[in-house]
Amino acid sequence: MTEPTTLAIDVQGLSKRYGRTLAIENLTLAVPENTLFALLGPNGAGKTTLIHILTTILEGDGGKALVGGIDIKRNPVAARRNIGVVFQDPSLDDRLTAFENLDFHGLVYGVSGADRRAGIDELLALVELEQWRNAPVRTYSSGMKRRLEIARALLHRPRILFLDEPTVGLDAQSRARIWSYLAELRRRRPLTIIVTTHYIEEVEGCDLVSIIDHGKIIAEGTPEDLKRQHGHQSVRVMPADAAAAEAITAAYPAARKSSDGSIVIEVPDDTFAPAFLARFGTAVQQIAFEKPSLESVFLAMTGRELRDRAAEAARSTGGRRRT
Amino acid sequence: MLKLLAGIYAIWLREVKRAIRDRGQLIGGVSRPLMWVLIMGIGLNPYFRGEVFGEVRFAVPYTYIQFIFPAIIVLNIMYTSVQSAVSVIWDREFGFLREVLVSPMPRWAALLGKILGGTTIAVFHGALVLILARFADVTFTWQQLLHGLGLMTLLAFGLTSFGVVIANRIRSFEGFGVFSNAVILPLYFTSSSVFPLDPALTRAQTLVVYPEWLVTLVEWNPITYAVDSLRGAFIQFHQFDPALGPLVLGVMAVGFFIWALVEFRKA
Repeated sequence: MTEPTTLAIDVQGLSKRYGRTLAIENLTLAVPENTLFALLGPNGAGKTTLIHILTTILEGDGGKALVGGIDIKRNPVAARRNIGVVFQDPSLDDRLTAFENLDFHGLVYGVSGADRRAGIDELLALVELEQWRNAPVRTYSSGMKRRLEIARALLHRPRILFLDEPTVGLDAQSRARIWSYLAELRRRRPLTIIVTTHYIEEVEGCDLVSIIDHGKIIAEGTPEDLKRQHGHQSVRVMPADAAAAEAITAAYPAARKSSDGSIVIEVPDDTFAPAFLARFGTAVQQIAFEKPSLESVFLAMTGRELRDRAAEAARSTGGRRRT
Repeated sequence: MLKLLAGIYAIWLREVKRAIRDRGQLIGGVSRPLMWVLIMGIGLNPYFRGEVFGEVRFAVPYTYIQFIFPAIIVLNIMYTSVQSAVSVIWDREFGFLREVLVSPMPRWAALLGKILGGTTIAVFHGALVLILARFADVTFTWQQLLHGLGLMTLLAFGLTSFGVVIANRIRSFEGFGVFSNAVILPLYFTSSSVFPLDPALTRAQTLVVYPEWLVTLVEWNPITYAVDSLRGAFIQFHQFDPALGPLVLGVMAVGFFIWALVEFRKA
């Protein structure tokens, strides 16, 4: 990455409280311009709250936040001109057509007639919805709706695009498509993209990642940095029988047992593999080396697996998300 | 400034488009006045004039259909205005409100566009009643028509704002339906819409015909003055001071809009 001169997002000491729960706690975040930035964390970690504050839907309780260089507390209207937002829940008018939804957006954002027409054509082509231009949004699939929302958020040519869980609830093909549109967009024009997700694999391609949990940023850096600093190479072995499993866990007390019966052992150094194979080579059915992943980073930082927690959090906070 | 107008236009246009695509609303807007003119109007027409109650003799110089005709316009506007505010609940429920809230449009402009949209639809539904004018034996000049449309617009604007206030407080569709019916019909019936308060009579004489609580309700009901001002416009008949109608309508429009704005800012 080149030397960043300006920050797209500059948050210092931001907090947000809902009654007695602290959703965001003294959070500090800096995102340079023109980066693809991912906010990774389980549901209920404070991702959506943070996005709502940065997009001026919610007001923070304390701290300072600059979006595109503009103080969002002092000048929310000016800040809104610079940002495009795709919310987690759809916000299209489904009785209107794709064109009408986009045209509405352009008018409300003060985009001139010529720019509106050109922009609508370009963006509908980008998200491959040209042939659905005059169909009511009611008839769209959820993947198509999400694509249309991305097109809409870009119509006023914002410098910063916020996407709150843009791929949640979509099938693998639709998810891949959305990421390919975003990549294509960044080739066409300078754009900072802030995306939240709890899908680890989607974060690998991002420039910068911050891991958020309980309203706090617990780690940040490029995906490679994070893996290097916090991740560990590990080996996953499938013991031949119960006796072998016992012997392995006795020899490596730090090993974790997985639900499928396999045992995961962190690799401390290069001497581990020959030593392990010499001793237990005949006691295992299967052995696999696992590269450090962001999943293991998250695990190392919080002691929990992201997915399990995601499911559990979704169950407990499912009703609370709407504002 | 131009951008602001474009934004208000966009919101207005969306409201109007949605209303046009909602057939149910249009059917209600047509069938309601038909029922009132054809059934209530024609049915009660023969009983309206020359009735004698003791010392009091009615001196309303119009047929019953002519008399209730302006009130039916008000009824249609009431239903449509308040109903169009349902879209506030709809927008919140289905997320569209956020699209407006993150836009650089100021809240007051967004609200103004929405209320103007509802006003347009309501005035249109009010004007649908005017098509029945010849069946009701009501005739008016272009000038009277413009005068009437102006009053209808003021009324629709005030009532749509009022609807937004209700919609902001009652956040479910079911609750809103129940509430709006519970408000519209009582307001309509106590607005001297279906029975006259003869302007030639003193209050004491009026109280011979009607119980005091009813007369008081009619006098306090702001819709009474809306009906009265439209009677002035379309059949040149006033039961109250002619200046009172436009004044009450103006105060309602401004007052309810400000109230709606206060509510909408909290949203």
